[in-house]
Amino acid sequence: MKSSKKLWMIIGPVITAFLILGVLLLLPLRFDHNSKLSEEKAAVSLSPQIFKGRQFKEQALSGKYVPFFGSSELKRMDPYHPSVLAAKYHRNYRPFLLGNAGTQCLTQYFAMQTILSQLKDKKAVFIISPQWFVAKGDDPNAFAYYYSKLQAITWLQHENGSKMDKYAARRLLQMPSGRSDKFIKNLLYKAKFGHKITRFDRFRLDVDANILNHEDQLFSAVGLNNNLNKIKRGEKRLPNSENYSVLDKHAYSYGKKRTNNNRFRINNNFYKRRLVGYVKGLKGEQKNFDYRKSPEYGDLELVLNQFAKTHTNVLFIIPPINSLWTKYTGLNSKMVQQTDNKIVHQLKSQGFNHVVDLNKYGSEPYFMEDTIHIGYRGWVKVDEYVRPFMKEKNKKVNYDIKNKFYSYKWQQLFPSKKNLTNFN
Amino acid sequence: MINLQPYGNPQYFVYLIIALLPLIIGIYNGYRCRWYQSLISLVFIFLMFDGPKSHQGLMLIFYVIWQWIIVGLYMVYRKKYNNKWIFYLAVILSIIPVATVKITPAVAPDQSNLFGFLGISYLTFRAVGMIMEIRDGFIKEFHPILFIEFLTFMPTISSGPIDRYRRWIKDYNVVPDRDKYLSMLDKAVHYIFLGFLYKFLLAHLFGSIIVPKMSAMAIASGKGLSWGLVGYMYAWSMDLFFDFAGYSLFAVAISYLMGIETPMNFNRPWQSKNLKEFWNRWHMTLSFWFRDFVFMRLVYAMMKNKVFKNKNTVSNVAYVLDMALMGFWHGVTWYYVAYGLLHGIGLAVNDTWLRFKKKHQDKIPHNKFTKCFSIFLTFNVVCLSFLLFSGFLNTLWF
Repeated sequence: MKSSKKLWMIIGPVITAFLILGVLLLLPLRFDHNSKLSEEKAAVSLSPQIFKGRQFKEQALSGKYVPFFGSSELKRMDPYHPSVLAAKYHRNYRPFLLGNAGTQCLTQYFAMQTILSQLKDKKAVFIISPQWFVAKGDDPNAFAYYYSKLQAITWLQHENGSKMDKYAARRLLQMPSGRSDKFIKNLLYKAKFGHKITRFDRFRLDVDANILNHEDQLFSAVGLNNNLNKIKRGEKRLPNSENYSVLDKHAYSYGKKRTNNNRFRINNNFYKRRLVGYVKGLKGEQKNFDYRKSPEYGDLELVLNQFAKTHTNVLFIIPPINSLWTKYTGLNSKMVQQTDNKIVHQLKSQGFNHVVDLNKYGSEPYFMEDTIHIGYRGWVKVDEYVRPFMKEKNKKVNYDIKNKFYSYKWQQLFPSKKNLTNFN
Repeated sequence: MINLQPYGNPQYFVYLIIALLPLIIGIYNGYRCRWYQSLISLVFIFLMFDGPKSHQGLMLIFYVIWQWIIVGLYMVYRKKYNNKWIFYLAVILSIIPVATVKITPAVAPDQSNLFGFLGISYLTFRAVGMIMEIRDGFIKEFHPILFIEFLTFMPTISSGPIDRYRRWIKDYNVVPDRDKYLSMLDKAVHYIFLGFLYKFLLAHLFGSIIVPKMSAMAIASGKGLSWGLVGYMYAWSMDLFFDFAGYSLFAVAISYLMGIETPMNFNRPWQSKNLKEFWNRWHMTLSFWFRDFVFMRLVYAMMKNKVFKNKNTVSNVAYVLDMALMGFWHGVTWYYVAYGLLHGIGLAVNDTWLRFKKKHQDKIPHNKFTKCFSIFLTFNVVCLSFLLFSGFLNTLWF
């Protein structure tokens, strides 16, 4: 064999491999379409790669799936979980669960960027936890866990210097994730000050977006959490009637059986795994917790502004906190009520009128699955609002976004009744 | 400032191979462009030790000057005289920097990074090896530039494999003919991709995914024996192997591209039938270095001075000392030393068993089953020793 041929035999395969990789990642192809089963799996997987990605969300939400934005309560997959109820009673929608422990408003806002066309003129459910509204706001580590370059690149592709864009750029730059990539960091600075992105940068954004989208399309299905069996198991346990008094009784006895190893009506496993050794130290430990002043209110405004732009018809749900637990930990219930008032005020004064504040149910037995997470009868109650909301015919909604809710003044406003009505 | 850690991610290979391309084309056409080779090596070493690592870079420069003076002076001395005390002095002076770096953390934990830099041990092995071979009369010339090129040979500077000067200089001085070079290129491509599999997939799987899970499981089950601890032992052993073997494949492959046949570091260690065979397959350049420069010399010295009557006792003592020293070299902690002692005693036991087996050949069965069993046993003894080596017991217990 001639040596040039030998050389080709050695490096030829390498070059071919790089060419194939180049074709897969760079060319404007689409490797889409997930099977019905993998779509079902993805909708309840709560896996970060689904949340951070695009393809699965895009395809599912173009069909009968409706986004359920939330955080750790989405993991409470008892038989009354929204995903189980929708499947069992063959509803016209299926929840696509978006969120997990630690996904707060800023995270949700950036994750929405990849599904803007799927949010346009559609319905959505958004569960807001009062616990997000801590003084320091979104935790950078939690944010990093759910952040992807794809989100930032997609966001940069359609930012146009609006108030929302400037605020989002500023917030992302406060996170180490947003500063980790030099190219993204520089463009974020431009966005923060309302400068235009050059044509060359736009070209680079398109190339990067293409690569990241292909990566997402090719690999997001790998290693999904399998929660589907939990959903199926739940379906089998549910009664055939979806009458609420039947469901509520059912949930009552289901919850009662599973919360009997402690005096807080907390799920037995949760108590055994997470609390039993620490309970003593937690007595009175939360009496100084305060959710009334937080940068999270500004991040919430980002989410609202995004919904306004896409005219998404959103049902907001504010879950309660287990009152047996709050009494023990000393959490100030008046403070929680004021937090809820502030959130509700921010929503309603901008035209977000589908708001369900469940605060008063914190003392209902078996309404909560554990300390702060809704479950059992709580999920049934949630369904009482979700079902009619989903049934009603969708109409285009218009919201009235007020920039004052981005202000530091609002974030730090003490939510007394007087302060709320007088806020300008 | 750009800082590139050697073989840290796949992009590194793109930069490195593009930079090496002129050299590769030259060697393919029968010409080694030595100034370009030196320049590229310097650039990449600079990129390893700049920016946040510049303190280490400074220490590297001092270190190279130090070794240059010691080895150079010893060469000048050895041409005329051969006093063993001067030889010992040269070895001790050469070892002082690495000894300081290894002992400091044990006595002054907050000063631990003062003199060290990435790769200091491996440079020491090369320098000390040279001093010993100068003493033996095998190395007759000290070349002031090539000494530095050998000591800091770019593909292997950070973690070996540990080459020998005489072997290296032979490769450096010639250009492999085309057929030979083609086969080296062929191997290099194979090694790089195998290394990708080892380091970026398998080591990641074991090290970043399984080990943390096992660690949490073990800690949750307390100080005793638990499934988490057993899982940790195997997962950590696999991580160590795939990480280091992957790295070594990269270093060998890049050397091959530069027309230098750096020796291999691993040769399927998990199929060893006993500990002795294991050390002929695991981190080979290190164990051969210890064999030639520590073990053999210890045995020779003990035989010459008639320390022990029985020659088996001599080799057993040498095994333990040799391996204990290797344990110390990893760092002055109880678990490294225990690891060394375990292997030293293991080798002595292994030797005794082999002698016993040879004497009673007729009675001891030797078949497929015993072979499988010996591989299984060796594997588990090694993994157990790696559990010690990992220091996890230290975190678990203290």
